[in-house]
Amino acid sequence: MSATLTVEDVVRTFGGVRAVDGASLVVEPGSITGLIGPNGAGKSTLFNCVSGFLRAQSGRVLLDGRRIDRSRAHRIARAGLVRTFQTPRTLTRMTVLENVLLARDAPTRAHELLRLVRLDGHAHELAGTLSGGQRKLLDLVRALMAEPRILLLDEPMAGVAPALRVELLEHILALRARDRVTLLIVEHDLDFVMRACDRVVVMNDGRVIAQGTPEEIRRDERVVDAYLGARH
Amino acid sequence: MSVLTSGGFWAFVCVVAGIYTILALGLQLQFGFTGLLNFGQVAFMAIGAYTMAILVVKEGWSTWLAAPLGIVAAAVAGLLLGLPSLRLRADYFAIVTIAFSEIVRYVATNENALTGGSQGTIALGSVGQAAQYNGQWEHFQTRVQGWLHVSDSDVAMLVIVWTTAIVLLAIVWLAVRTRWGRVLRAIREDEEAAASLGKNVFAYKLQVLAIGSALAAIAGLFYAWEFSFFSPDDFQPLLTFFAWMIVILGGLGRVWAVPVGSLVFGFLFAGTRFLDFRPLSYLDSAERAYLRLIIIGLVIIGLVLLRPQGILGRRKEMVLE
Repeated sequence: MSATLTVEDVVRTFGGVRAVDGASLVVEPGSITGLIGPNGAGKSTLFNCVSGFLRAQSGRVLLDGRRIDRSRAHRIARAGLVRTFQTPRTLTRMTVLENVLLARDAPTRAHELLRLVRLDGHAHELAGTLSGGQRKLLDLVRALMAEPRILLLDEPMAGVAPALRVELLEHILALRARDRVTLLIVEHDLDFVMRACDRVVVMNDGRVIAQGTPEEIRRDERVVDAYLGARH
Repeated sequence: MSVLTSGGFWAFVCVVAGIYTILALGLQLQFGFTGLLNFGQVAFMAIGAYTMAILVVKEGWSTWLAAPLGIVAAAVAGLLLGLPSLRLRADYFAIVTIAFSEIVRYVATNENALTGGSQGTIALGSVGQAAQYNGQWEHFQTRVQGWLHVSDSDVAMLVIVWTTAIVLLAIVWLAVRTRWGRVLRAIREDEEAAASLGKNVFAYKLQVLAIGSALAAIAGLFYAWEFSFFSPDDFQPLLTFFAWMIVILGGLGRVWAVPVGSLVFGFLFAGTRFLDFRPLSYLDSAERAYLRLIIIGLVIIGLVLLRPQGILGRRKEMVLE
């Protein structure tokens, strides 16, 4: 089930700004890989390039060895790479259940997943009535319904109630164990990244400056510099 | 005022409302369900009507072959328009559609040899001969009149148009309840979310544009048969905006709101025709014609203020972001 994602020298500029400036990384099959970096490091832009919502100007993106950098977003999703967005993209004038069924028409599984994130009580309400944190969870459930082989989560913990975060982490770990889904997660909550991830990739100024286990990253001076400034 | 009590007149009002229903149903599918801003719906009506009339008069085709081909021609035109323009942002797409509808009208006005030009379908045939495209249709209408045992041919037309309208409404109503319809609504809400779940947004939009165009062509055929003659002036952009008024009056994203909106609009439009009592009778008839449009505008503003969601729309959906 799990997939390998390879990013090679991807460049994406906006006007004169090189948002992603030759980024390369590998996400190992079955891993939970955290993507961290200061604001403006290019994490979300890289997500968009990988998932087909932006076109990389140069470089290659490979899913299980096959190039996807020239494919359109829906084709990449069908190939098994599904992403969520930083701000949830809830379909507000459709019910919570309809949001989930859009990904795949399997009501039993939909209810099961909604129960998991405690949204089953809201299944028949319009999704626009959900809070920000609930919308985040709904987006996650919707992405899971698409049965991805690799799931890209853009700040899944942002806006989620602290009490739910631990549960959410457990769900993500359970998911990996059960379905062998590969996960690439952008997250600002470093505590979460260090606890949940097997591998961590650090970006700064559009480049990948370090890759390794959480332990290695914690000790890496380039990472400390990037976060705290080079004078330390 | 005797026309007010004549059954034939009100049957005519209902026939026109039925034609508007079919025209606006296409728009409801495109905008109300999918979020496509089509300001050129009338063009597809014109393409359907002209294709049928030209094939019947110039090529001597049977009406029953020419009419379906008119529908197909409009759907193909919708596809051809959509291919380059549907990747544009919604507002730019809207500009392209209204330009397209004006191009169709200008072509119909100026291509005398093909369309009869500004003289209309009467000039479709050879010089000095008034062309007719509705012989077979009138024969059919008379037979329907016989089956129904009615003396008024307007009533036969009413039954034909509304039977067709109700069948089409039912088909669309069923279609939007399927998975396909769910994807359309998702596209209306957020295209990128739909794409992120593997939906080919462009393909769905193209399908909806073509289906809406085919519906407009059906309305165009009935329009052609009801009036026995038409010219490019019958396909002014105003007609597209009548369809928009109907969809907004009835309520967005509601199939059965379309006939309700059409009937309300049709009766408003026809009812204001009788503003010939004092003090309004001091105005001349041309002035009263404008007054009629002003009154319709005011009534619609009033309705929209009182029920911004439309007659059958759901207010709850309007406040969600």
